[in-house]
Amino acid sequence: MSVPRPQGYSDGLAIQWPRPNAPSRLDEETAMHIPDGFVDARTAVATGLIAGAGVGVALREVRRSLPPSRMPLLGVSAAFLFAAQMLNFPVAAGTSGHLVGGVLAVALLGPAAAVIVMTTVVVVQCLLFGDGGVTALGANVLNMAVVAPLVGYLPYRMLGRLLPGERGRAISIGVAAWLSIVVASILCAGELAFSGTASWSAVFPAMAGTHMLIGVGEAVITALVLSSIAHARPELLAGPDRATSPAPSGTAGFAAVIAVALAVFVAPFASPWPDGLEHVADRLGFGTAAAGPFLQSPLTDYALPGVTSPAFATIAAGLVGAVIVFLLSFVLGRALVPKTRGRTR
Amino acid sequence: MKAGELFASSADLDSPVHRLPAAMKLWIAVAMVVLVALAPKAWWFVPWGAALFLALVSGLSRVPARVLVGRLLIVEPFVLGVAILSLFQENGVSIFLALLAKSTVCIYTMVLLSCTTPFTAWIDALRQARVPSIFVTTVALMYRYLYVLLDEALRMRRARAARSFAPNRRFDWRLLASVAGQLFLRSTARAERIYSAMLSRGWR
Amino acid sequence: MRTALDVNGLSYRYSDGTAALDDLHFQVQESECVGLIGPNGAGKSTLLLHLNGVLPETLARTATLSVFGEPLVEANLRSIRRQVGLLFQDPDDQLFCPTVYEDVAFGPKQLGLDPAEIVPRVLAEVGLVGFESRSPSRMSHGEKRRACLAGVLACDPAILVLDEPSSDLDPRGRRELIALLRRLPITKIIASHDLELVVELCSRVLVLDRGKIVADGPTTEILNDEPLMLAHGLERPHILRHSHPH
Repeated sequence: MSVPRPQGYSDGLAIQWPRPNAPSRLDEETAMHIPDGFVDARTAVATGLIAGAGVGVALREVRRSLPPSRMPLLGVSAAFLFAAQMLNFPVAAGTSGHLVGGVLAVALLGPAAAVIVMTTVVVVQCLLFGDGGVTALGANVLNMAVVAPLVGYLPYRMLGRLLPGERGRAISIGVAAWLSIVVASILCAGELAFSGTASWSAVFPAMAGTHMLIGVGEAVITALVLSSIAHARPELLAGPDRATSPAPSGTAGFAAVIAVALAVFVAPFASPWPDGLEHVADRLGFGTAAAGPFLQSPLTDYALPGVTSPAFATIAAGLVGAVIVFLLSFVLGRALVPKTRGRTR
Repeated sequence: MKAGELFASSADLDSPVHRLPAAMKLWIAVAMVVLVALAPKAWWFVPWGAALFLALVSGLSRVPARVLVGRLLIVEPFVLGVAILSLFQENGVSIFLALLAKSTVCIYTMVLLSCTTPFTAWIDALRQARVPSIFVTTVALMYRYLYVLLDEALRMRRARAARSFAPNRRFDWRLLASVAGQLFLRSTARAERIYSAMLSRGWR
Repeated sequence: MRTALDVNGLSYRYSDGTAALDDLHFQVQESECVGLIGPNGAGKSTLLLHLNGVLPETLARTATLSVFGEPLVEANLRSIRRQVGLLFQDPDDQLFCPTVYEDVAFGPKQLGLDPAEIVPRVLAEVGLVGFESRSPSRMSHGEKRRACLAGVLACDPAILVLDEPSSDLDPRGRRELIALLRRLPITKIIASHDLELVVELCSRVLVLDRGKIVADGPTTEILNDEPLMLAHGLERPHILRHSHPH
């Protein structure tokens, strides 16, 4: 996610792909693209399923509502976002980050099309450049192509309604972009910890901390890019809102996907205690249930240091939480996002 | 670096490896990566076996080692970046080394695959794998217009460089954003013209 | 001789309200080659896009345009697009497939024709044999232009409409293109600033300025009319100065 900046160009455009081939200091690197070997089978399957569900909802939505005239725009936008991810910006002390572009995509294309386009970019990076692993594809698609655009979408629309005008749009888009990066990075940390690759106490502050900083860069660039587009062709930003505003079912589907992802990968670590897994499980009363014979046999096969049966119990707890989060965001979404048909103004 | 080198030009060479069907290579590579990435630590021979196999295939492929290693090294720092996080736990060093070995083998697999498979073969392979057509079209268009877009970006940079007389050391956020914004506007206009071109040749 | 194209009162406004085309009337006969000239922004490209119904707004109005007697309305759209082949100004817009073969095969596939027979034939016609698996991003501008032409010819059009066919071509590429176009016996409408090309290929010229047709007549007559040419941002081509000294 963070690369040394090429010298001599103040526009930060690093044409070298995937990354500038310059010598780099290791401590400068943090990554949002998870490589192979960093997620275990369980996490690979779980992220794959959740990401698949998200992309599936997006696919159905795009097939239903994308006018054929916007079809070529998907491909050309994928090229644009691919190129946009080569844009580097300085973060701090010689470190630089590059754009992820999730919120940029969502603001320009609408949520469903943004998921499709971002997924394409992530998959091509994985298959053609080895940037992001094959077994981590589910995780990477989930973090960068599903959650990053969609987490930003609601704040963008909600704040955009609360804060009118150009400044309001810049603020709402900035907040959305920052949130999307931070949430995606926390999810990424959760997946790594869940896989037993790194301990939560190390990976969470490292990922969340750096991305709170990198997120500022993403926010500034996303806001500036959108305002420059809005100046030249305002109808491009209004377009996706009207044309591909998702049906309530689409919004609900996306909200469900995000809630489940957060519940499964982040909730188990949300407790401040080091043995947060067990603690949460105990408190919610799943600890004993999970030890039952029914769950025992599959668990022993997958047992990993630090992750024992209560983890599954916690996931169950998390899923309950997810349902609540989902219902809440669904209700909020319906209340705050105007219905397409109701627009007669 | 020229934008033209973005996708491996060695993919257009000719060798027994290049001639294999893309779909077959893709499945072999994916299977190998899955095996290597998910093999328990006790199976230390899996990554080594895979590495031996890859060395053999690399030799057969006639892709210059410089190209393969170069592409590997481009991605490698990012592996290190994540792997470093694994040091901060019990047995951190051994986990770190195991991770590094695994992911290096996996990345090399994908690098070798992309250096021996022309892009059009990828597209056919995706079609065969029954990937939804909207993705196949998006990938095909993305590949086609990435070069066009990067050329545009390079021309914009050159035009600006020609008018600025002292190199600007300070990072210019607005400049970066205006380059990106311009690129998107051009992309949209381009997409509209592509749509016209598709219509005019009978597209429904 | 049949009338290939009949434009009768065609007008068009951009979405912002400015008039792009203003009440155009003209006819093109079968196998005629007509040049369309005029300053930048005169509406040449807009007119060409109308000729095969690419601009959707055209359809809403009563048909002001017909191709071989077929009025341009929704129901005839596919058959009209089949009859009118459009060569775009920027070959990168038109070559949207990853390889030349796929791109040339795109049209025939959409029309339900067999690309296996057509593609080799049209590639031979434009001199691009052996380019089948080439990616457009690795071709010269002249090669791209010829690949576009192959893609249009593959749809077997009755009228060929070309937008600035010689722009960005080097002298040899331009020469080859002119020779190629001259060999094609079909009806052609060529919009171009390259007046020498117009002199070589077209027997008749339309001058378009600010959305209106300001002149329509034999090529040499119009291009030799110095006051007319200057009044519309054009000039008398050198080739005529030498062959028709005043």
